[in-house]
Amino acid sequence: MSRIDEKTRRLFASMADILIPHAEGMPSASEVNVHGELLDHILGLRPDLRENFMRGISAGSERDPTEALNELNRSDPAALSAIGLVASAGYYMTPEVRRLIGYPGQESRPDPDPDAVPEYVANGMLQQVIDRGPIFRPTPK
Amino acid sequence: MSSKAPRPPEVAEFLIIGAGASGSIAAKHLSDRGFGVVCLEQGGRVDNSEFWGDKPEWELMSQKRWHPNPNVRDLEQDYPVDTSDSDVNPLMYNAVGGSTILYAAHWQRFMPSDFRVKTLDGVADDWPFTYEDLEPFYDQMDVEMGVSALNGDPAYPAGKAAPLPPLPIGKIGMKAAEGMNKLGWHWWPAPNAIPSKPYGGRNQCVRRGTCLTGCPERAKASFDHTHWPDALKNGAVLITGARVSEITVDEKGLANGARYIDRTGRERHQKAKAVIVCANGVGTPRLLLLSKSERFPNGLANSSGLVGKNLMMHPYAAVTGYFDEPLESWLGPAGQTIQSMEFYETDKSRGFVRGAKWQVMPSGGPLGMRAAYGGKPLEEAWGANLHRNTRKVFGRAFEWGIIAEDLPDETNRVVLDPNLKDSDGIPAPKIIYKNSENTKKMIDFHLERAREAMSAAGAIDISLTPLMRDCGWHLMGTCRMGNDPKRSVVDQYGRSHDVPNLYIYDGSVFVTSSGFKPTGTIAAVALRSVKHLIESKQLQEVAA
Repeated sequence: MSRIDEKTRRLFASMADILIPHAEGMPSASEVNVHGELLDHILGLRPDLRENFMRGISAGSERDPTEALNELNRSDPAALSAIGLVASAGYYMTPEVRRLIGYPGQESRPDPDPDAVPEYVANGMLQQVIDRGPIFRPTPK
Repeated sequence: MSSKAPRPPEVAEFLIIGAGASGSIAAKHLSDRGFGVVCLEQGGRVDNSEFWGDKPEWELMSQKRWHPNPNVRDLEQDYPVDTSDSDVNPLMYNAVGGSTILYAAHWQRFMPSDFRVKTLDGVADDWPFTYEDLEPFYDQMDVEMGVSALNGDPAYPAGKAAPLPPLPIGKIGMKAAEGMNKLGWHWWPAPNAIPSKPYGGRNQCVRRGTCLTGCPERAKASFDHTHWPDALKNGAVLITGARVSEITVDEKGLANGARYIDRTGRERHQKAKAVIVCANGVGTPRLLLLSKSERFPNGLANSSGLVGKNLMMHPYAAVTGYFDEPLESWLGPAGQTIQSMEFYETDKSRGFVRGAKWQVMPSGGPLGMRAAYGGKPLEEAWGANLHRNTRKVFGRAFEWGIIAEDLPDETNRVVLDPNLKDSDGIPAPKIIYKNSENTKKMIDFHLERAREAMSAAGAIDISLTPLMRDCGWHLMGTCRMGNDPKRSVVDQYGRSHDVPNLYIYDGSVFVTSSGFKPTGTIAAVALRSVKHLIESKQLQEVAA
């Protein structure tokens, strides 16, 4: 697989920052370096994205990134989708962004006491369901 | 042939095609009783360390390598499916363990009325047995799988308790249950084939919430873990990478083996005294239709003309609620925390018959939530709005999923595609499937009720998904069972009416679909069938 050149990284960073800007207390895409090693990592894991991604990036080489992205949205949604996925996947994988949105990742949190009486039993919530009685139609005789 | 597989016998006593749920049950129980078993599986073995659920890249990889749609995944062991004439994409996974590698592990029973649809509601057909006939097999499968559930659900007749206590329902389950109680509607902690405590060599669930893309904890009960270790210990021979192209027959019209292509491209023939097909509701009719001969010009076991017809795939709709409090809605179990059968049974005043089952599901990670934004204006889907949307919904949303019962309809079917072929050049299946008016009315009704449930739970915003295209997990009905050979493909024990030593054990044999995930019933029906086969073995006709 050919190496991603610096120009491609710069173009991707500029487009990614339109999609994921510094706003609402969150860093921009380039501030968490989605155009650095993350870009290589993601395209390495998902080579199927590469063709659409590179086509979309090349469409932005001679124009304003917002204009280029809007044009892709109209004429080449597959390319925009690839750029958006690479940018957002990298962005939400970074520890800083996960910390800011309160996401620990798909964490391991086993039930410490599986045999304990569940809260919905102890507080009577489920009893209301039981008290209403059966809701099925039995097998006809 | 897999290099580690022991050499198969020249003639297998039983040849099983497909190592998914039903094939695994057949392999284990036949080999438990000393019968010689060879199983041909087109996929390979999956190691739990291949799953991405415990890694930051999880969502990225879920959208391709571990996607449930074979057309998206596009692996060599997958066959393509032409879905151009279908409202729904069929989903599956081809490997040892079959689609249970990626299933949510709802471990549901059908309700008694599901087996008596014709008698009770005047539509479709009754099954050739009742809920009570199947109950002991449901009970046994609960133990074999290690089901976690709370006994006493008033949606079912009283029965035996599952072997493990229920999984936690989490904040999302509690929130949903509060809403249901305000409305006086049924809910119950959901049964799952996921161990709440270590069980049968598998680990306790850690609630990672990635069940639908594979369980990296080796907790979820997929059949590669629950049944194959015993079957292999018993001497069953499992041949992976074996793509079956035809079931062969002898001069008497008995099945005598299967032709398959191994991963070196070599065509082989495995001889057998009897054949059990367990290739799912698409793969099984595909194979039977491929197995044409002078004696069976319309495909094997197809004198009724029903092979491939009556495909049922469970249209799926969803209502997502957004809340103004953190709900940790990335925590598992991913498939269901609580369920409701409040509107399951028929009420003809609603304008349709039958019903749907609901389940509460977590909303997952931040990337998956972006999927709904495709095609929207840039500034709506991205920019500062991306941050605002993430803040609003991430960790604060859950879904009431709605599994609608679709009734059998001969026009919904699996046929052989005239052009599309798999990587071995074998004709691929084409799906022709449209939702009926009954289904559309059913989904509209249930979406409105689920919206009310979300409002009652305190949702500050609600979105509706009327029909997901990638929802065809449940592949049923394409080789239906019955007592009348003119109106069914197999008898109540999965034995072909036409070919007395050919059996079908997967969801193809279902008469109706219910509104439940079918794996628990596929398993119970397969267990009932294989036990009957073992008990009556001396009376069976076999190929020489």
